[in-house]
Amino acid sequence: MVKFLSEEWIEIGKNYMLEKLDPVKDLKSITTSLLGVVEHIPPNDTTMNFYLELEEGKLTDFIVNTGDTFEEKVAAYEVRGNYGTYKSVLQGEMSLGIAVLKNRLKVKGSKMQALKLIKPLDGVIIALKEITDEFEN
Amino acid sequence: MTIDNVIASEKISFKDAVEIAKKGTHCGMCKFDFLGSGVCSAGRKKGFLAYWPQGRMEIVKQLDSDRVKPTEKLIDIVNSCSQCGICDKQCNFTTQLRPEKVAKALKEYVDNLDNSEFQNVPEDDNLRGLREIVGEEWATNDPVIIASYTMSIIPRDTELNYYVVMPENTEQVSKIIKFANKNNIPYLPRSGGTAFSAAAPTILAKGLSLEQGIVIDLYRLRKLEIHPESYTATVGAGITMFEMQKEALKNNMRALAAEAGAHVCSNIVTTGIISTWGNRYGAFADNFIDLTTVDDEGDIKQHSDWERNNPYSTEPGFTNLSLTPHSIVTEAVVKLHPIFSDEEAVLVPFDNLKDAYRLLIKLGKRGVGESLAVLSRKYLAEFLSPTLQISKDFDYVCKNYIKLNYVVAVICNQDDKKIVEEMVDFTIDQSLMKSLILGAPRFSTLKDSEFMKILSEEEDPLRALFAGPMRDHLEKALDPSPENVAKVFDEDLQEFYKKVYSKPEMTDIVWLHAFRILPTRMMRQQMFIGPGGAMWTGDENHYLNWIQMFSDMGDKLNVEHSLGFITPLDNGKFAYMEYDYYYDHNDPEVCDKISKIVIDSMEQSLVMGKVLTILNYLFKGIYRKEHVLYPIAKGISKEEQELFKELLETVLGEEL
Repeated sequence: MVKFLSEEWIEIGKNYMLEKLDPVKDLKSITTSLLGVVEHIPPNDTTMNFYLELEEGKLTDFIVNTGDTFEEKVAAYEVRGNYGTYKSVLQGEMSLGIAVLKNRLKVKGSKMQALKLIKPLDGVIIALKEITDEFEN
Repeated sequence: MTIDNVIASEKISFKDAVEIAKKGTHCGMCKFDFLGSGVCSAGRKKGFLAYWPQGRMEIVKQLDSDRVKPTEKLIDIVNSCSQCGICDKQCNFTTQLRPEKVAKALKEYVDNLDNSEFQNVPEDDNLRGLREIVGEEWATNDPVIIASYTMSIIPRDTELNYYVVMPENTEQVSKIIKFANKNNIPYLPRSGGTAFSAAAPTILAKGLSLEQGIVIDLYRLRKLEIHPESYTATVGAGITMFEMQKEALKNNMRALAAEAGAHVCSNIVTTGIISTWGNRYGAFADNFIDLTTVDDEGDIKQHSDWERNNPYSTEPGFTNLSLTPHSIVTEAVVKLHPIFSDEEAVLVPFDNLKDAYRLLIKLGKRGVGESLAVLSRKYLAEFLSPTLQISKDFDYVCKNYIKLNYVVAVICNQDDKKIVEEMVDFTIDQSLMKSLILGAPRFSTLKDSEFMKILSEEEDPLRALFAGPMRDHLEKALDPSPENVAKVFDEDLQEFYKKVYSKPEMTDIVWLHAFRILPTRMMRQQMFIGPGGAMWTGDENHYLNWIQMFSDMGDKLNVEHSLGFITPLDNGKFAYMEYDYYYDHNDPEVCDKISKIVIDSMEQSLVMGKVLTILNYLFKGIYRKEHVLYPIAKGISKEEQELFKELLETVLGEEL
């Protein structure tokens, strides 16, 4: 159990997804990449992002960066929201779908395509929920 | 003491007050002066919903259910009520409730509490920050005040983990959002709360409500300026349709009218103003010249800023759902329209929907009339009848004796009137409509009369009644007068309602169409929800089958239902339809049925295609209608239907 967006979070998250998630059953064999931009992180109101890449349901990349862009790779989707929203999603208080429909998480690109990803991404969210237990106040 | 005062001062128990409060439907009509009676002075002064009759009713429910405990603020709330009786006059007109009795019972309850029973609610850092923005008195974390917002933005089953803040200008709204973002607090704006109150008893509450955080009550943004030279009005987010329409009328102008209690800015955002005047005046972005918005970063923007990315377009497709506004409209410059001296209402009665629909679409495509709609029998009965029982009897008489099931209601000038009259055999003239309003109580008693029996035996009762000699007999039988209609109200209010019904506008169909004070009667002591949407009119059977689908769902689940209205859009190429389900919002079992109808009807509508459902309408009002309505939607595929179900499952939970 680790702190959201820490180096440790990335490592444990990677391992968890690779070991515990079935690429077909849990991740629906999806091939996609996603940049999650987390804004207004306490205590200094900073921004960070995490880049996540899946190929045929298998995690191929998972990186955390500071700032709101990731120069090395272009993600198929960008999901932007504030720290509190990500926290609510990872604590199970709000689903990814409702966060998108309530405009708490903003998707760059086709909403139709993004919403199609919600079900497969449920597996990722469940994994991250399992490993994340510490947040900034 | 007069008899009137004796009745008005009758005390009721707290338990009885709870029962009255439960029948309240949060219509918000107590927040503006629609009868010329004045408006609640405590609400006007203090602003927070808790100080309005609607809020006091909610507080009584919340105290009774133990969701909230008395706070020191509650003493101020009950003492602020002068017991002037204005709320009874307003509320009784639309819902037959007596909020003042509830306020009195609440005061008595508070007076009997021991001082130790009042909680002191300490200020926290967030509240301190909000107060720095809006001033000490306009931000609160008081649970009693917060609880008063239940069912009109806050769901009924959450913890009261909220703040309510009342900004007075756009800059303050901007600062609140920046503060909320910095502190990771969710927020949601609130104007009248009527749209949410219709959804609140259903499964939609989860998606549309604020689960915790800051309620931004926009009531204090009360700018209202009419610019006669440009046929525009500048309207703040706290202004209702009625208030704007009233000021416009003083300048012989009219705004596109949503229901009286709808707030102009939020109605623009939420649905683009669904109105029977839409075929002539427009919809969505047609409604305004400019908007002042605050986006979710707290940045203030003008719609007219030419350097902005196109703010008028939106992604097409059924998954383009939004459950909250993308930005807060704090001020709108809306279009006004001229009123002509020769305007008149023409109503064409029908026994069947197909013929009514055909006439409506024909008129819509020809551009005849300013306001155009098919209204159902149920609508007529609800609008014209002063009490719930009279509306039921009125409906019965129309259905079983005269077969008056639909009217095509046209507001038009004399040229268009001639066109309508040439297209149909007979109409209901203004004089008879006036008589039906002032004679509604008598009309409803005709259900066992010889007159109605004879009429019902005619081959075409509508023709016999409206185009034959029986018309005059009916008008005499109705014995229409303000005195007679006032007699059905509580004794102490009769004199007031006699004066109300004596006002020319109360029997002026054109005025009633523009000011829309009567539709709230659909919410008297029960709730309704009106799914539907805008469908392409190119295929008549497709359209009528769509309506039948809603009817079948109501029958299947044994819920009271009826077509509400159909009104053309975009020169008759589309027509908006509302299908209404009426239900007891305090009965969880019925609420579940309504939830099922809302979801199933949307899914079936999407499968049928050529429709923009009401859920797809939500929060698209600032876009061009051409971007929202076009391309005409195809029916969704099986694969897309599965995606839709998955989407609902993730949004609304597994319950469905």
